[in-house]
Amino acid sequence: MTILCVRFQLPSTDEAALPGLLGLLEEFTPVVQALPPHGALADLRGAERYFGRTALELAAVIRVRALALHGVDCVIGAGPNPMVARMALRDARPGLTRAVAGGEVRDFLAGRPVAALPGVGTRTARTLGEYGLDTLGRVAAAPLSTLQRLVGARAGRELHEKANGVDRGRVVPDAVSRSPATERPFTRDELDPGRHRRALLSAAEELGARLRALDKVCRSLTLTVRYADRSATTRTRTLPEPTAHSAALAGAAYALYEALGLQRARVRAIGLRAEGLDPAERASHQLTFDPLDEKARRIEEVADRARARFGPRAVMPGALAA
Amino acid sequence: MPGFTHLHTVSGFSLRYGASHPERLAERASERGMDALALTDRDTLAGSVRFAKACAKAGVRPLFGAELAVAAPAAPGGDESVRRERRRTPVRGGAFIDESAPRVTFLARDGARGWADLCRLVSAAHTHDGLPLLTWDANHADGLTVLLGPDSDVGRALAAGRPDRAVRLLAPWREVYGDALRLEATWHGREGTGPGSLRLAARTLGFAAEQHVRPVLSNAVRYADPGLGPVADVLDAARRLVPVDPAGGLDPGEAWLKGQGAMLEAAERIVAAAGFRREAALRLLEQTQATAAECRVDPEDDLGMGSVHFPEPHLVGAGRRTAQRTLASRAAAGMVMRGYAGRRAYWERMHHELDIIAHHGFASYFLTVSQVVDDVRDMGIRVAARGSGAGSLVNHLLGIAHADPVAHGLLMERFLSKERVVLPDIDIDVESARRLEVYRAIIDRFGTERVATVAMPETYRVRHAVRDVGAALSMDPAEIDRIAKSFPHIRARDARAALEELPELRQLAGEKEKYGRLWELVEALDALPRGIAMHPCGVLLSDASLLTRTPVVPTSGEGFPMAQFDKDDVEDLGLLKLDVLGVRMQSAMAHAVTEVERATGERIDLDAVPEGDPATYGLIRSTETLGCFQIESPGQRDLVGRLQPATFHDLVVDISLFRPGPVAADMVRPFIEARHGRAPVRYPHPDLEEPLKGTYGVVVFHEQVIDIVATLTGCGRGEADRVRRGLSDPESQGRIKVWFAQHAAARGYDAETIRRTWEIVEAFGSYGFCKAHAVAFAVPTYQSAWLKAHHPAAFYAGLLTHDPGMYPKRLLLADARRRGVPVLPLDVNKSGVAHRIELVSESKGSKGPEGPGEPGKPEGVKVPGTWGLRLALSDVHGISETEAARIAEGQPYVSLLDFWERARPSRPLAGRLAQVGALDAFGANRRDLQLHLTELHRGSRGTRGDQLPLSGGRRTAPAGLPDLTPSEKLSAELGVLSMDVSRHLMDDHGAFLQELGVVSARRLREARHGDTVLVAGAKAATQTPPIRSGKRVIFSTLDDGTGLVDLAFFDDSHDACAHTVFHSWLLLVRGVVQRRGPRSLSVVGSAAWNLADLLEVRREEGLEGVAARLAGPAGPRSAGDDGDGPARRRLAGSDGRPAPAGSAARDPMEDRTIRMPTGYEMHPWADLRPAGEGPAVGRKLWHRSPGSAG
Repeated sequence: MTILCVRFQLPSTDEAALPGLLGLLEEFTPVVQALPPHGALADLRGAERYFGRTALELAAVIRVRALALHGVDCVIGAGPNPMVARMALRDARPGLTRAVAGGEVRDFLAGRPVAALPGVGTRTARTLGEYGLDTLGRVAAAPLSTLQRLVGARAGRELHEKANGVDRGRVVPDAVSRSPATERPFTRDELDPGRHRRALLSAAEELGARLRALDKVCRSLTLTVRYADRSATTRTRTLPEPTAHSAALAGAAYALYEALGLQRARVRAIGLRAEGLDPAERASHQLTFDPLDEKARRIEEVADRARARFGPRAVMPGALAA
Repeated sequence: MPGFTHLHTVSGFSLRYGASHPERLAERASERGMDALALTDRDTLAGSVRFAKACAKAGVRPLFGAELAVAAPAAPGGDESVRRERRRTPVRGGAFIDESAPRVTFLARDGARGWADLCRLVSAAHTHDGLPLLTWDANHADGLTVLLGPDSDVGRALAAGRPDRAVRLLAPWREVYGDALRLEATWHGREGTGPGSLRLAARTLGFAAEQHVRPVLSNAVRYADPGLGPVADVLDAARRLVPVDPAGGLDPGEAWLKGQGAMLEAAERIVAAAGFRREAALRLLEQTQATAAECRVDPEDDLGMGSVHFPEPHLVGAGRRTAQRTLASRAAAGMVMRGYAGRRAYWERMHHELDIIAHHGFASYFLTVSQVVDDVRDMGIRVAARGSGAGSLVNHLLGIAHADPVAHGLLMERFLSKERVVLPDIDIDVESARRLEVYRAIIDRFGTERVATVAMPETYRVRHAVRDVGAALSMDPAEIDRIAKSFPHIRARDARAALEELPELRQLAGEKEKYGRLWELVEALDALPRGIAMHPCGVLLSDASLLTRTPVVPTSGEGFPMAQFDKDDVEDLGLLKLDVLGVRMQSAMAHAVTEVERATGERIDLDAVPEGDPATYGLIRSTETLGCFQIESPGQRDLVGRLQPATFHDLVVDISLFRPGPVAADMVRPFIEARHGRAPVRYPHPDLEEPLKGTYGVVVFHEQVIDIVATLTGCGRGEADRVRRGLSDPESQGRIKVWFAQHAAARGYDAETIRRTWEIVEAFGSYGFCKAHAVAFAVPTYQSAWLKAHHPAAFYAGLLTHDPGMYPKRLLLADARRRGVPVLPLDVNKSGVAHRIELVSESKGSKGPEGPGEPGKPEGVKVPGTWGLRLALSDVHGISETEAARIAEGQPYVSLLDFWERARPSRPLAGRLAQVGALDAFGANRRDLQLHLTELHRGSRGTRGDQLPLSGGRRTAPAGLPDLTPSEKLSAELGVLSMDVSRHLMDDHGAFLQELGVVSARRLREARHGDTVLVAGAKAATQTPPIRSGKRVIFSTLDDGTGLVDLAFFDDSHDACAHTVFHSWLLLVRGVVQRRGPRSLSVVGSAAWNLADLLEVRREEGLEGVAARLAGPAGPRSAGDDGDGPARRRLAGSDGRPAPAGSAARDPMEDRTIRMPTGYEMHPWADLRPAGEGPAVGRKLWHRSPGSAG
């Protein structure tokens, strides 16, 4: 009961506020793991002793501070390991922290659907459901070998352990796996490739700017196209070299988009996500004899500075200006 | 000022392009003072006949034409390869519809030759794969005028600013059409130089002058009235399968049927822009008029309207004799063969009929039909004639009709008489499963140049309209689906009115504003054709000139030749149509007979089953007639219960009485009273005893009216039939009344007799039923009941295999269980592709009945023992024909592995088989089997090597997974087979139903009239059939395992019940018992709850929760009606009894009632979907249809 899972009630997808809130948690324990967009795991094993309070009491303090300092309410679940804490969070409400003690983990899990288990996606859940293993209690009761036959050796073992309340995962401090993403929705079903490309360009510009602001480069780019029927196509491509250069990102985005060959698909939104972030200073860059590339990068640098001073719309590609 | 004729006009028959009906266009042309109008639909001539008729009515001269996509002439240089750019296949959403081919308008000019050319071009265009496209080689005709408009290759070159290219492209056109070529200028007020722009129009005019080609002015009309631009946009979007794009060039709204003044104005603008003087505008209009004047095609002479074309006599076995001589000798041979040779009456009747046939020259028609019937019979397909044709002795003698018309009192005159000049109409019923074989045989016999199937335009009704408009407006697909599905099958034009008035749409009505223009556009699409399908039963038979009189296109699926005209047009065009109806019952009976023969070796000749079989009539009288042809609907079971048929004639009467007309005219009650001796039989006059004796003085048949009129007035029966037909028309009725009184008085009948007789005749109107029809129907009715009584297992096997009738399969299964036929589960080692019968146990005695508990079994049953029904593989969800056949072929299988390797089922299919227990024989529980299957599947893909996951040979090792619970098994059965096989699905809820005090269907039979009861069950059928009173009544049938409960919800309970009844499957209903006879029983519902909800409440909250739910208002919404929308509380009866159908409250709905061509009026909310529409093997769990067909 020493791990807390906190979800801050942030308005919309405002990721910017998260770092500050993580700082709040770090006042209690150094072992804080961000769960973007607005959650975090905190390991309070040391803190309980240090502050002389139980994890539940600390949870109350955290909530008060978050409200007082940031004006943000939060929901907290507590458990003996990260997995249980996460699942406890689902039962929690603002003001009511759900805590699961070590002894009651199995009962807590037994009645729950398998899909509630972190790491069990819709697909695994469906597979298990087909075999009548729709609750964690049933999964726990099934022989390990059968589970391994169902979902594979490793996943089967993990599933078996998790269903029995065993989680070998730890809270890993500063595991910021955040990959910036942005989406351009359309107000209606949009078929026009011109407007699709505009959305891609604008999204790539934004991603580039955000990466450069963080001094990061990304290794790969993921394109997500959402359709009117709520389905989506996702494609990922590794970039030739890690970069945060908007033009390179836009080029990769266009290539991903062209490969889909969309014609009559009713596109409702186009999203880009930069993945595999590395510090910019560790990135390598292939120099060329073509001065254009160099110029483009220098212009970008200047444009970034202009934007920093005059706002994000101060400088932008001509295609987006109209 | 010269007049103006629109030479380029499309109607709604240009699928998803034109927005107005041809009738509307003709009317508007006449209103706007035009003398002529052309109809040039895209790729079709389907609207021509209606257009011609509408024009005749409106006093406008019709011009006929078509707009076709034309391929470019093959270029000698071959620049094709350069332009072919291959596009990547889209990962989602599909490719664009390619409409890039240039389009040209063709007008028929030289009478019949022009029309024939037009037909040929349209037919040729449709031979192209994909969208219709006329190849250049086929693009030549002598009788056509060609308009090269903005969408032609020449027009496009001009739009691109390439007059040089236009010159080059014009050359081949000029070579082929010479003087008949016109350049078409159109101005729609668009910007730029594209189609519809002023600059293109001006360029066209200038180009025409330069090239010495005559220009014409057109408006490329797509809709009759201004303001329909948005509708055209929606149609464009629906055709291209894309949403309307406001940025991508909307319809300017100018393409309407403008008057002469507006067109002169347009001409002046174009001429001015082209730099000509003002007089040139008048010349342009004159040219247009002159072109119109050249196009002379007469609907009567040139289209062949009003004349008749039969196949040539030599094709129907006439040899060198005339058709009439051949027919006479064939009929005489029939007399001898059927043993009528010694009977004078038959000879006289035969000669009389031959006279009539000779009078019209229809002999080859009879020979043709006889030829077809003979061919079909030779193929071993069950075939039976239906319709008024059964009234002709000649038909009977030729072997077309089974029943002897003389013995049954059927009249030739109802079918054909000298007085009536129409095409005779013989329908033949064949086995539905082999209908296409029959078509192929007909085509092979007469050749594709004489045979074509008939088209059937599918028109927009509300659901499709909502879907197409919603998609065009970029609405959320899930939302569109929800809206579309919440509507009943009604006309699109009533969408908004339905929202106001229908209780089950109240929720949707609340959010109606949210959807903006949706409703308006939905209503605008009303009745526009949205697709053309092959008519399910019509076949055209003609002489070799068929292709010059009608355009023929291949059907999409089977590639049959199909005329573009629908069945009404075809009649107007004088083309002989033979209706070949696929009747599922015929297939079912054929299957039952083959099953009996396969399993027992006993051959049954259904056409020779003994008449008057007591067991059969016992079954019918018990009203357990589920699955029997024509008498299985709730209403029919009720009627059969009251009528208690004992002879074939009773069946004929029963079928005739169960028609909207007789039911509405309340002919049923007097008939039943008289039949059971509770009322005396009365005749208006002793002379009329003869025709009315068989029906206790009640007029039931058309034939009786004919006889009455003929007897009293002394006119012939042919004339009497004409009179009868006139009765349905209120105008002619008055004339007939006078005529009738005069003639009857002249024959010495007194005024009282005449008055009373006229009352009967008038009340009867045209609502009776043709006895010939009824006799033809009653034959399969009796045959199917006979099968059900004597070979129940085989009967159910046939029914389930071919799924006839109105009820879902699970109900037939419940019926089989009730009648003691063991239902054997699916088993891969025993089940066949189709349902089969299987010997379950040898009987104890030597002459035991086939089904236990069946009293009064005849001795004729040769094979003792209990026969069970083995379910079929084909009923498994998602199984393909080849898979089913492969599984059946490989039987038996010794182990799961053996099954997997030899039957090679797909993974999902194998899983489903395991779920429903078809693999239980291989050991282990069903979930373990699933796991093994998954591993076999993985193994077969090579990821697991050769390891065998099975233990010790044949049995499958358990894997420790939990087995399916009984309720999971049941839901698996429902999910996979759509049937509850192991037990009835209501069995699980017995305890709760007992708590509620629900009366079971079996116990309901003892309930008294007027009792208030609770009934519950799974919904088996819901109908909102057309009811003559103009009220909407919801009929529903519940099945609770012990039998069926028939429910009726009248108008006053709809607010409370309609939504629940339509949208739930398990129902709990409170109602009042209505009893009309010992076997006739129904419940008039006053409240309904969703039983599934209640069960859940009971499980979770206990009885308290249920009480709380029942305390609230019935139905899903607790808010009730808070005054939004006019709740229809016109009749304030709340005790659940039918409101008195009187004239007390004038129904505001009356103004919108739908008048059918037969004079029958329908409530606008009656279900419009034709009976039997939808896939035959659909996975339906209950039935929703209009019922009373015919």
